[in-house]
Amino acid sequence: MELYELDLYDASNGIKEKKFSPAELFESCRKRIDSCEDNIHAFITRTDDKAPVIENPEGILAGVPTVLKDNLCTKGIRTTAASKILGNWKPPYDASAWKYLREAGAVLMGKVNMDEFAMGNTCGNSAFGPTHNPNDISRVPGGSSGGSAAAVSAGYVPFALGSDTGGSIRQPASYCGVYGMKPTYGMVSRYGLISYGSSLDQIGPFARTIRDLQLVMSVIARYDPMDSSCFREKHYDFSHSEDVSIKGKRIALVKEFQNFTLDTPIAEAMKKTKKILEDNGAVITEVSLPIVSKYAVACYYALAMSEAHTNLERYDGVRLGYTVKDAAGIKEMFERVRSYGFGSEVKSRIIAGTCLTEPSRCEEYYVAATKVRTLIAQEFKRAFGECDFILQPVTPSLPHKIGEENEDAMKGYETDLYTLPVNLAGLPGLSFFTGYDDASKLPVGLQLIGPRWSDPDILNTGVILERHLGSPKIANGGVK
Amino acid sequence: MKLTREEVNDIALESRLLLTEKELDGAVKYINNFLDILDSFRELDLTNVEPFSFAEAIECPLREDKVIAFKDTEAILHESEHVDGSYFKVPRIMEE
Repeated sequence: MELYELDLYDASNGIKEKKFSPAELFESCRKRIDSCEDNIHAFITRTDDKAPVIENPEGILAGVPTVLKDNLCTKGIRTTAASKILGNWKPPYDASAWKYLREAGAVLMGKVNMDEFAMGNTCGNSAFGPTHNPNDISRVPGGSSGGSAAAVSAGYVPFALGSDTGGSIRQPASYCGVYGMKPTYGMVSRYGLISYGSSLDQIGPFARTIRDLQLVMSVIARYDPMDSSCFREKHYDFSHSEDVSIKGKRIALVKEFQNFTLDTPIAEAMKKTKKILEDNGAVITEVSLPIVSKYAVACYYALAMSEAHTNLERYDGVRLGYTVKDAAGIKEMFERVRSYGFGSEVKSRIIAGTCLTEPSRCEEYYVAATKVRTLIAQEFKRAFGECDFILQPVTPSLPHKIGEENEDAMKGYETDLYTLPVNLAGLPGLSFFTGYDDASKLPVGLQLIGPRWSDPDILNTGVILERHLGSPKIANGGVK
Repeated sequence: MKLTREEVNDIALESRLLLTEKELDGAVKYINNFLDILDSFRELDLTNVEPFSFAEAIECPLREDKVIAFKDTEAILHESEHVDGSYFKVPRIMEE
């Protein structure tokens, strides 16, 4: 067994027990990257050319390599959000989530690809070109955190961080065959995360075991005074135990979702998982989410685009990133910088957000969407009065081929119905591996969501699911 | 409510974006499709519904409003190509 094949827990223990050195692990991961990266293209910036500097040799993650989605700020290391507009920007500070990992001893292999400003679900909408799915390099890895999911799936690193605004951790985790956790809004500091939709964005981990997700969450879930939406004075126990039970837990299926079409492997995975939960003592129930199922997609995009339009106003070429030096006036400078720097999907979303928040349309669209969001959050709250968790797909289909994106953007967005309501209500969601489809050999993932702050309980349920469904294997990354 | 090409272009200019003809075609289609979907909100009675907020006073209180100096101003200025001393310099603001 090569060292890069170790999961986070075993890699960390191996270093502590001096079975191998951090440098040996780093070198093994670096070689794995070298062997697959031409096929996968997960990286925007590699930082693995130098020997690792371990900030805390006694830390819980001492010497374990990781990668970060390129919308997480890294002091002195280029951070692009996969956009031309950030140019060669090197942030003067670290994102808090990365700072916590660094202080726990983790070492950085690089910054990975994403859809520009996290807008997209294929990882193909990047100024740096598309990332490929390590399970089948002709297919998309999902997005927007496609680089993080692909890096963990291909065995580049045992864990990674991404961000999830409407499914951007859970969907690529499912497509690439790894675990991905979207924490409760407020559980992980967003300080240093390049904003897309600030009331929806949340940072979370990818890993190849649930135990590893728990380990990363135990490091990054903490109060940060630099993020005023971050929880405080609460301690959440993410310690791993095999001695967990779901006996008597009520796990619901969503009534309205059951009329929607699913690819056969996903429908089969739902049946298989339901049976495992029942066999372990859970009670399968049903909840009704009529407003979520009908209005969440429109509500989400109205809010995300409105927030994006305000968040992206700051990119004007003055303080950082791409700029021009010969503009006659400031208006010309802004127009030239923004028109060249943003990609077309980002431009469309900025224009839509500007349109929805104009005084003449604000009440009809933006304010209405914030009220629909209230109804959606209330509907989830009622549902979680009747059940402990909801089991549902992550997507209705398996990853499509690169280049087969839906031409009608709105149709593409509808595939996000299973993920984005979770962000509207600020809930936690776990994307978990259920096995491989016999025909396509592609991984099949599902999702478990819970009430706010139930993240540790969701992961404990994940432990039981992993025990029965098995853990994912490292994908071949296009290497024969 | 359908927006015309001119209206979409005006909104783009407000956002400081100059669109190519192709981009403008795409944006018109994109926004009008989107507004059609948003019209579905009219089916809901939102009269007595409050706009959403994470109003969980106990969970997420506002932090104390305390100034903490960021010491590495040099690193911030280093990232700009429009610097004069410790200031950012911008082109002419007043238009003819």
